[in-house]
Amino acid sequence: MKTILTQCKYEIIRIMRNPYYVFWSLFMPIVFYVVFTKIFNSNIENQQEWQAHYLMSMTTFSVMGSAIMTLGIRLVEERTKGWSMFMRITPLSDSAYFFAKMVGQTVIHVLSIAVIFTAGALINGISLSAFEWLMSGLWILVASAPFLAIGVVIGTMKRVDTASGISNLIYMLLAISGGMWMPMEIMPKVIQNIGQWLPSYNFGNGAWQIIRGNAPEWSNIFILFGYLVVFVILSSYIRRKQEAAV
Amino acid sequence: MEQIISLQNIAKKFKDKKAVDDISFSIKKGEIVAILGPNGAGKSTTMLMMLGLLEPTSGSINIFNRNPKEKQVRERIGAMLQEVSVIDALKVKEVIQLFRSYYPNPMEFAELVTLTGLNDEDLKRKADKLSGGQKRRLGFALALAGNPDVLFFDEPTVGMDISSRKRFWDTIQALKERGKTIIFSTHYLQEADDIAERILLFNEGVIVADGTPKEIKKQLSKQSVSFIDPGNLSLEELQSLPIVRDVYRKNNRVYVVTEQTDDVLEYLFSTKEKVQGIQIEQGRLDEAFAELTENKEAI
Repeated sequence: MKTILTQCKYEIIRIMRNPYYVFWSLFMPIVFYVVFTKIFNSNIENQQEWQAHYLMSMTTFSVMGSAIMTLGIRLVEERTKGWSMFMRITPLSDSAYFFAKMVGQTVIHVLSIAVIFTAGALINGISLSAFEWLMSGLWILVASAPFLAIGVVIGTMKRVDTASGISNLIYMLLAISGGMWMPMEIMPKVIQNIGQWLPSYNFGNGAWQIIRGNAPEWSNIFILFGYLVVFVILSSYIRRKQEAAV
Repeated sequence: MEQIISLQNIAKKFKDKKAVDDISFSIKKGEIVAILGPNGAGKSTTMLMMLGLLEPTSGSINIFNRNPKEKQVRERIGAMLQEVSVIDALKVKEVIQLFRSYYPNPMEFAELVTLTGLNDEDLKRKADKLSGGQKRRLGFALALAGNPDVLFFDEPTVGMDISSRKRFWDTIQALKERGKTIIFSTHYLQEADDIAERILLFNEGVIVADGTPKEIKKQLSKQSVSFIDPGNLSLEELQSLPIVRDVYRKNNRVYVVTEQTDDVLEYLFSTKEKVQGIQIEQGRLDEAFAELTENKEAI
C-alpha cells in the first residue's frame, strides 16, 4: 500500500512539472474564460447564467485535455523510452503501476477543477450554491472516465509524434463540436446533430444542467458510459495484440 | 553450493530467425559469470529471458526455483539493461527513492550513492537531463536499489570511460564479496577474463564453451609448433595424427596447430627427419576471439 502511495505521489509530481499540463489545462482555460466572459460578452441576456455555464465549459475542457493528452502521450513516451519494460523487472506489478497513474490523474483533475472554479468565482463572482459547486465538481471528476480511457487508447500508439498529433486533433475536434468553446445553440445544425452524440457534449452538458439546477440527463450518463466501455475494450484488445506480437 | 538460476533447453525464435538455440546452463549462488560473445550471438536475448522480459519459444527458466516473472523473484533481482532508460520530470534523488520503495529491504540511500559514485549535484538534476555516463550510474543505482541477491548487467561498460569502467568493476568485486551473484554480458574478452570466474561463450545462439577464463582461453587459443620447411615432409601424414588440428605452410615454415605441443615434438623427433629451427607459438587469445567474431559477421 505504501508503495502505491509513493508511486501516486511521484506520478502527481511528474504531471505538475509538465509545462504542457500547466499551460493547456490550467492557464489556457482561464484565459479563454476571461476572454469569453469579460471581453466578448456584450449581447448576452442572462449574464449570470452564461458566466457559470462557460466556467463549466472551461473546466470540462481542461479535464478532458489532461485525461486524453497528459495521460496518453506519457504512456507512449514511457513505452518508447523503454521505461515500461524496465519497470517490469521491479516488484511493482503492471496493475499497481496503472492504478497509481489513474489515481495520480484523478488528483490532478481535482486540482484543475479547484483552480478553475476558484478563478471563476474570483473573476466573475459566480454565485452557485454549495451543492451545485460540489455536484458539478463531482460530475466532472467522475464523468472524465471515458476520456481517461481514450487517453489509454492513445497510449498504445507506437510513436510519440503520432500520439501527440492525433490526441491534439481529437481534443480540439471534441472541444469545438461538443460546445465547449461556443454554446451548441450557435453551431451549424450539422454539428449540433453530430455533437449531441459526442462524449464531450455529454460531459459538458451534465455540468451545464447542474448549474441550472437540474440533474444531468440520463442520455448523458448512458452515452458516456457507452464510450467508457468501448474504449476500455479497445485498449485492452490492442494491448493484448501488442503483447502477443513480442 | 546452492544453484539459483537454471535454464533448460531454452530456444528463442524471432519470426524465422533463431536467436538462441537450445541452450542449458545453471548458475550457483555467489558466482560471477560473464556471458561473452560477438554481437548477435544471443547474449541480450538470453539475459532478457532470464529477467522474464522475453518469453522463450521453448524450454524453461527458473530463478530461486520460481518463474522469473514472479514477484518473489523480482524482489531479489536487479538489472541494468543495455539501453538505460530514465523517467522524465523526476530528479535523480526522487527516482532512486521511488525505486527503493518497491522493495521489502532496500539498500540504504547513502550506500547507493557511495557505491555508484553519484555526486550531490547529480542527485539534484532531472534524470532525463543526465549525460550518458551519469545515466549509467543512475541505472546502476536502480539495479542495486532493492539490495538484490542476483544482479544482471547487459553490456554494462559500453560508453563508459576508462576510469568509470575501473570504478564499476571495483564495485562489482565489492558486491561479489558480499555474496551477490553477478551475471554480465560483454563482447570484450579482456573484461570477461579480468572479472569473471566463469565464462559462458556464446556464438550464433549456442554456448560454444563454458568454463573458467583459463579453460576458455586454452580452448580458444591455438598453440602451434613450427619449423623450417625441409621440403620433403609429407603434410598429409602430420595431418592424419589425432593430436594435430591443422597443418599449413607459411613463409617457408611448416606450422602444426595442436593442443599438445609436447606430443608433436616427440613425433617430429621420432620421424628422424631433420627438422630445424623449431618454435612453439602460444596463439594469441584475442586473435582467436576476433576470428570467432569474424566468422559470425561473414554469415
